[in-house]
Amino acid sequence: MQKFTNRAFLALLLAALLAIPAGVARWSHKETTAYYENRTLAERPALTLSSLWDGSFGIAFESWYSDHIPGRTALLKADTRVQMDILDRPVVNDVVMEAGDVLVPFQEYAEQTDAEYAEAAVPIADGFGQLNAHIGANGGVFRYVGFPEQRFYFADRYPDYLDSHETESAAADAIFAQALADRGVSFLDMGAVYEAQGNPAEYYSTVDHHYNYYGAYAAYRAILDDLNAAGFDLPVLTEADIDFVELPNPYIGTRNRKLYNLWPNDEKAVIGVQREPVTFTRTDNGQPSSRALFVYPQEAYMPTTYSLYMGGDFAETVLETNRPELPDALIFGDSFTNALETLLYASFDETHILDLRHYTEKSLKDYISEYRPDIVLCIQNDTFYYTATGNSAVWED
Amino acid sequence: MAFSSMAFLFAFLPLCLLCYFLIPTRFRGGRNFVLLVFSLVFYAWGGLRLLPVLLASCVLNWGAALLAAPGRKHRKIIFPAALILDIGMLGYFKYTGFLLNNLQALGVDVTVPSIALPAGISFFTFQAVAYLTDVYRGTVPPERRPGRVVLFMAFFPQLLQGPILRWDDFGPALTDRRETSAGAAEGATRFCFGLAKKVLLADALGQIADGAFAAGDRLTVGLAWLGAIAYTLQLYFDFSGYTDMAIGLGRVFGFRLPENFDYPYIAKSASEFWRRWHRTLSFWFRDYVYIPLGGNRCSRGRQVFNLLVVWMLTGLWHGSAWNFVLWGLYYALLLMGEKFLWGRALERLPVALRHVYALVLITVGWVLFRSASLSQVGEMVSAMFGFAPGGVWSGEAVYYLKQFRWELLIAIPAALPVKNWLRDRLAARREQGSHTAAAALALGPKVLACGLLGWSCVRLLSSTFRSFLYFQF
Repeated sequence: MQKFTNRAFLALLLAALLAIPAGVARWSHKETTAYYENRTLAERPALTLSSLWDGSFGIAFESWYSDHIPGRTALLKADTRVQMDILDRPVVNDVVMEAGDVLVPFQEYAEQTDAEYAEAAVPIADGFGQLNAHIGANGGVFRYVGFPEQRFYFADRYPDYLDSHETESAAADAIFAQALADRGVSFLDMGAVYEAQGNPAEYYSTVDHHYNYYGAYAAYRAILDDLNAAGFDLPVLTEADIDFVELPNPYIGTRNRKLYNLWPNDEKAVIGVQREPVTFTRTDNGQPSSRALFVYPQEAYMPTTYSLYMGGDFAETVLETNRPELPDALIFGDSFTNALETLLYASFDETHILDLRHYTEKSLKDYISEYRPDIVLCIQNDTFYYTATGNSAVWED
Repeated sequence: MAFSSMAFLFAFLPLCLLCYFLIPTRFRGGRNFVLLVFSLVFYAWGGLRLLPVLLASCVLNWGAALLAAPGRKHRKIIFPAALILDIGMLGYFKYTGFLLNNLQALGVDVTVPSIALPAGISFFTFQAVAYLTDVYRGTVPPERRPGRVVLFMAFFPQLLQGPILRWDDFGPALTDRRETSAGAAEGATRFCFGLAKKVLLADALGQIADGAFAAGDRLTVGLAWLGAIAYTLQLYFDFSGYTDMAIGLGRVFGFRLPENFDYPYIAKSASEFWRRWHRTLSFWFRDYVYIPLGGNRCSRGRQVFNLLVVWMLTGLWHGSAWNFVLWGLYYALLLMGEKFLWGRALERLPVALRHVYALVLITVGWVLFRSASLSQVGEMVSAMFGFAPGGVWSGEAVYYLKQFRWELLIAIPAALPVKNWLRDRLAARREQGSHTAAAALALGPKVLACGLLGWSCVRLLSSTFRSFLYFQF
C-alpha cells in the first residue's frame, strides 16, 4: 500500500513537472497580451553571452516562463475568486472589497505634506503659466479643467481602517489650483461643480476609475457655461438634444478588470445619442478615420469598456464640423477627455485633440502656433496634477 | 536561481530529475556528475560572473585539504594559509564596503568600490573551512577527486542557504547512498511543504513586516508589535521553508542533509533558542571558533571573551552592518546573563512565563536584525514599549490584521510542533487498528503536499519574482 501510494504520488508530481514545460513549448507563442492585467506578456529572451554573464538572462527567462505557463489566466482568475469569496480579503489585487457598492483602489498609508506638494507644484504650474501666455499671444484662451478621480469622488466609501487620502488629496488639489491661479491660469474645478450638484453617485463609475457619461455631460455643461460667460457664443447640446442610452453590454471597468471581472455588478455604459446629430469628419493620427463617436462591441453579449468613447486614446484626433462661424478648439489631456470629446466637438468648427503621453510629432507650443486655436482646454484628473510628464509637460520643446 | 521560481520548478528541476534518474544506479559517478553539472548551472543562473569565485574556492580547498592532511610535510603552513585565503575572500566580497564606509564616516578619504557579493558565499566558505579543518584535524580523510569536493561545496539544494554541511554529512553518501521511492516521496512531500511555508506564509507575513518597518511617523504600539511578530514568523517560515526544500531535494537524490531547525519558538530561553535555530551555523561556531578559543573550560573572564567573539562574528556573518553586530552582542549578553546571572532563577519560573520571556527577547532580537539602521532600531523598540509617534493603535494595524488574518492564524500553530503531535496521535490510533488513521498517515501528507504545491505555484504566478531573505547572508 505504502509503496503504491509513494509511486503514484511521485508519478503525479513528475507528470505535473513535465507537463508545464511541455505546455509552454507547445503554446507559448499563442498569447502575447494579458488582457486582465492590461499588459504585454514578456517575450522570450535572446541567449547572449553578456546576458548569461550578468544574470539578466535568468531574470528575463523567469518573466517569460511565468507569463506563458499554460492556463495562467484561468489559474489567476481562480486565485482571485478564492481571495475574494473564500478567504474574504478586504483588499484583492489592490482593489478594496469593503467599499460598499463601489470598487476603489487600495492606497498606501504614506502621505505627502502640504509643503512637498507646494514645492512639486511650482515647475508644473510654471509650465502652464508659460503656456497660458503663449496661447494668449496666439489669440486664444486657456482653461485647465481638473477632475476628481473616482477614488477621490468616492473617498467616503473607504472603510475607516483604510486611508482614502481624502484630506491629503483635497489639500493637494487646492495647492495645485492656487499655483495655477498665481500664474494667471484659469482653473475649472469639476470637483466643486459636482459638489454644488450634491455629488450625485451616478456621475462616476462604480467599477472604473473614470466618471461615466452623466458626469461627463455635467462637466460639458459647466465648461460651456464658463466659456460663454467669458464672451463666446457657443452652441450647447442641452438635455433636450440628447437621449441618454444605456448599452445592453456588460461593462468592464479598470477596477473590476483587475478582479477578472468577478465582482458582481450590473453597471452598464451610457452614451449620449444626439437627436439631430452634428455631422463631422474625423482624422486619427493624421489618417482619415471612419470611427464614430462611440465604438460599440460587435455583439450585445460582448463586454464594453471606457474605450467605447472615441475608441480610446489616440495621439491626435481632429474632428471637423464644417461650421466656420464657430471657434476652433484644442483639447489635450488624459482619458477623461474621451467622453467629453463626444459632446464638446459639437460646439466648435474644428476640434483638435492631443494626448501628449503619445503625441510626439511636434511640441505643444509649436502646435498652438501653427493652428492658433481660439480655445485650449487641458483636461486631467487629479492623480496627474503632480505628474511632470505626459500632459503636464506642456512647455517642452 | 530560487526554488520559488517557475524556472526552477518547471524547467530546471524536471530536467535535472530526468537526467539523474535515466542513469542507472550502478553508475554512481554518472549520477554525481549530473548533480555537479546542474549545481554549477543553478549557481551560474544568477550570472556566470559569479562562478569563478565559487570554483576558485572549491579548487583552493580541495588542494589545500590534500596538502594539510595529517602526515603531509608543510601542513602547518598550508592550513592557516588556506584559512586566511578563505576568510580573506569572504571578507573582501562581504565586508570591504562596510569597512570603507566606516572609514569614510570617520573622515578618512577613501573610495568605496562597488563589489558584487557572490550569492551563498557565507555558506560555501563556512563549509570549506569546516572541511579543511576536519581534514587538518584528521577527523575526515582528504578527498582526492576534485569533482567530489566541488559537489560538496556547490550541491544545489543547499548551496545558497544551507544547511551548512560537514564532509561527514555528505562525502560518504557520494559513493554509498540509495535512492528509494519511499525516500523520494518523503523528500518531495517535504519540498512541497517547504515551498508553501515560503510562498503562502513567509511572503504574506513579510508584507506586514515591510509595512510596519516603513511606517515612520505612523508607527503605533500595535503596529510595531504586529510588524515585529510578523517578521519573527516570516523569518522562520522563509528560512525553515528553504531548509525543508533543501532537505527534501537532498532526500530525493538519496542524501540525508542535517536538520537546521527544531521548532525554535517553543524555546524557554535564549540559550535554548540557539540550540533550535539555524543549528548547523551554531554548531559550526561551537566547533570551529568557540571550542578552539577555550570554550567553557577556562576562566569566567575568558568565557565572556569567547562568547563575545563568537556572537560578534555570528552577527557579522549575517550581514555587514552595525545592526547585525548589535544583534550579535545582544545575544552574547543574553547568553552570558542566562549562564552567569539569572539562568537559575529563570528555571524556577513557570514554563509559560519562560516561554513569554524567550519569545519577547527573540522578537526584540529580530527587530535589531531587520532594522535598516541603528536609529530604526531605536524607533521600533521604543514604539514597542509604548513610545510610538502614532499612538497606541491605528487603522493600518487593523488592515494588516484583516488582510493577513489567515496567514497569522495558520502561522502560529505551524510554528509549533502540532504536526508531530498529530502524527503521533494518528500513529497510536493506527497501532490500535484504525484504518482511517492508517489511510490518513499514508495519504494525508501527500494529498496536502499536492494541494500546497498547486496553490503555491498559483500564488507565485500572481506575484513578481521574490528572493529568499537568507540570500543576502
